[in-house]
Amino acid sequence: MSDPNQVPGDDAELAAFAADPELAAMFIADAADHLGTIEETILKLEASPADLKLVNDIFRPFHTVKGNAGVLGIISIQEFAHRVETLLDLARSGKHPMGPAEIDLVLKTVDLLKLIIDELPARAAGKPTTDVAARRRELMDRVDALILGSAPAPSQSAPPAPVGLTSPPPPPEEEGGRGKIHRTEDQSTVKVDTKKLDNLVDMVGELVIAQAILAEDPALKTGDERLIRRLAHVKRITSDLQRDTMAMRMVPIRQTFQKMSRLVRDLSRKFEKPCMLNLAGEDTELDRKVVEHLTDPLMHMVRNAIDHGVEPAGIRRAAGKSEAAQLKLSAFHRAGFIVVELTDDGAGLDTEQIRARGVKLGLVSEGAALEPSEIHQLIFQPGFSTAATVTELSGRGVGMDVVRRNIEALRGRIDIQTVRGKGTTFTIQLPLTLAIVDGILLGVGGDRFVIPTFAVQESFRPLPEQVQTLQGQPCMVQVRDRLYPLLHLGEVFSVTGARQRISEGTVIICHDNGRCVALAVDELIGKQEVVIKGLGEMFKDVRGIAGGAILGDGRIGLILDTGGLLALVGKTGSQVAA
Amino acid sequence: METLTGAAATAAGHATGGKFLTFTLGNEEYGVPVLKVREIIKVMDITQVPQVPSHVLGVINLRGKVIPVIDLRRKFGFPAIEHTERTCIIVVDVELAPVRVMMGVVVDSVSEVLNVADTEMEDTPDFGGRATTDYILGLAKVKGTVKILLDLDRVLGTDGTLGRF
Repeated sequence: MSDPNQVPGDDAELAAFAADPELAAMFIADAADHLGTIEETILKLEASPADLKLVNDIFRPFHTVKGNAGVLGIISIQEFAHRVETLLDLARSGKHPMGPAEIDLVLKTVDLLKLIIDELPARAAGKPTTDVAARRRELMDRVDALILGSAPAPSQSAPPAPVGLTSPPPPPEEEGGRGKIHRTEDQSTVKVDTKKLDNLVDMVGELVIAQAILAEDPALKTGDERLIRRLAHVKRITSDLQRDTMAMRMVPIRQTFQKMSRLVRDLSRKFEKPCMLNLAGEDTELDRKVVEHLTDPLMHMVRNAIDHGVEPAGIRRAAGKSEAAQLKLSAFHRAGFIVVELTDDGAGLDTEQIRARGVKLGLVSEGAALEPSEIHQLIFQPGFSTAATVTELSGRGVGMDVVRRNIEALRGRIDIQTVRGKGTTFTIQLPLTLAIVDGILLGVGGDRFVIPTFAVQESFRPLPEQVQTLQGQPCMVQVRDRLYPLLHLGEVFSVTGARQRISEGTVIICHDNGRCVALAVDELIGKQEVVIKGLGEMFKDVRGIAGGAILGDGRIGLILDTGGLLALVGKTGSQVAA
Repeated sequence: METLTGAAATAAGHATGGKFLTFTLGNEEYGVPVLKVREIIKVMDITQVPQVPSHVLGVINLRGKVIPVIDLRRKFGFPAIEHTERTCIIVVDVELAPVRVMMGVVVDSVSEVLNVADTEMEDTPDFGGRATTDYILGLAKVKGTVKILLDLDRVLGTDGTLGRF
């Protein structure tokens, strides 16, 4: 068993990597793609170990990563990958069976390669990195042991020395092998800095608005046929352009789902709860930013589902359920939103236990008349956990509140449907894009505000008797037996010229985090899609404002943030300004 | 050793000349390094933002970019006046740690771009602790008048010389 003399840390091999940052970045991105593919495929292979086509599908990307590392002269990766590739080569020619030990080995290799590759830039910059030499050697020893154990003499296919760039060419395409992996190679793609893309999306958003401003110009109302026709043409092109630009930022949710497959596999072993994860709608496309920020909350949810939701096998058997828990993760479009659902067939939420816990934590009062759905919402409160034992991964009372915060930061919402003994479904609803929000335009004095439509529950013109005063000041609005705290936007934001009498204006009930507030404004102007712009560093401490939007007349309307507004309830304008 | 030419280099310890855009506030004449200036625009519709000090007038739409606007009169404690047709917004680059931002500064009127020679520069005199002068780059005596040259990063920035915003 030859010991590798090139261990990571010998950074002479990174000279080429450091010299060409662009190529290096490409290598890292490519490798991440390929390793993701390998991971996905190997989980399939685990289900049908005899499928040689799958082995081949693993071999090819592996080979590519190895080759690319070789081109950059990163010997340590190349050699390591080559050793494992040798095993895969034997396997795809049917000389070595892919058993659990082999699959586990390949997964561990993928993990280690990911780590090594992720840390390459740090290494190249001379920063300290994880010492992987021992793990690497152990894996390589295990490969050697597995190869020696395989039936036919492996002499010709397991050269102990690194082979450099003269490694065997990628295997020829086999019948039926022209599958998914090849597809990506057929597309010609350009890698673009995401900043440039974001800028483009922003500019196109402005173009759409500028076009709308132009279309509403009174000078065009003269009824000049030709002019109107030409404008319509511009409008068509603009909206096509907008659609296509938006599409550029969209990526399929597949990669995120793959990570969940892996997580379920690892967790179900850890907790000794057999689980099957079924995926649906992996090709559903989401805004790149949404996908990035969805991974963490989904991981929390999957952990929770397996740790708390799924019962131990014995209990499942007694309840007449299949021993292996069925988890389902799906993504689909619904009514202009993207919906991601995680369903388990576990124990479901224990409403009484949650209520008891809520009372203990002082979140609800003892005898409060609450709907079960309202009680279930309590699990999203910070510090809430009913888990009897704290496990390594979940049950420490952090989790679901973070999940909800993350989802809401994406302007989405999360709901629970649960049936005791049957299982739980978490539904995440997300906007198609983060760049544009569907809003309702409000007028207060001479100012314009935009409130995101998803935060609005209802709006109406209040009757004087609906407004409840406290010490002469309006403080509550009654709507069908429910009292909502009142926030007079004109007063709290000190807007000049705002209507003083609430009953002369409009009241909007909006909600955030399960709490509601009645917003008193002068008038409701209409619906409008707006491009969200940050107000920048200077206004980062302003509460109740999420950003600015350029309106049809070129002015800026402030976009309201319901969560922030809720925090302003009960304060007067002067208190807020301080 | 060559110091920064064009912009005034405070690091040199001694104020140096360069090109300055001058403007008026009340009866006083001020100047800012011309390299900090992006453009000069007419006063447009300013959207007020709540919960900010009174000298922060709000935000404007500068060709699709949302930028904050500061009233330099209020910042310096002058009485507020009605905007006239000479009132301008000077759009400048300001270091607002940790980022650079564009910002609009409302002034009474913009005068000219002035070439100040090193010899015309005078260090800020000591006013005996009555007024903070850290935000002044120096004084320029040109054609018999005195221009107060401002270090905008200190006037508008976050370093707290003139209080946060």
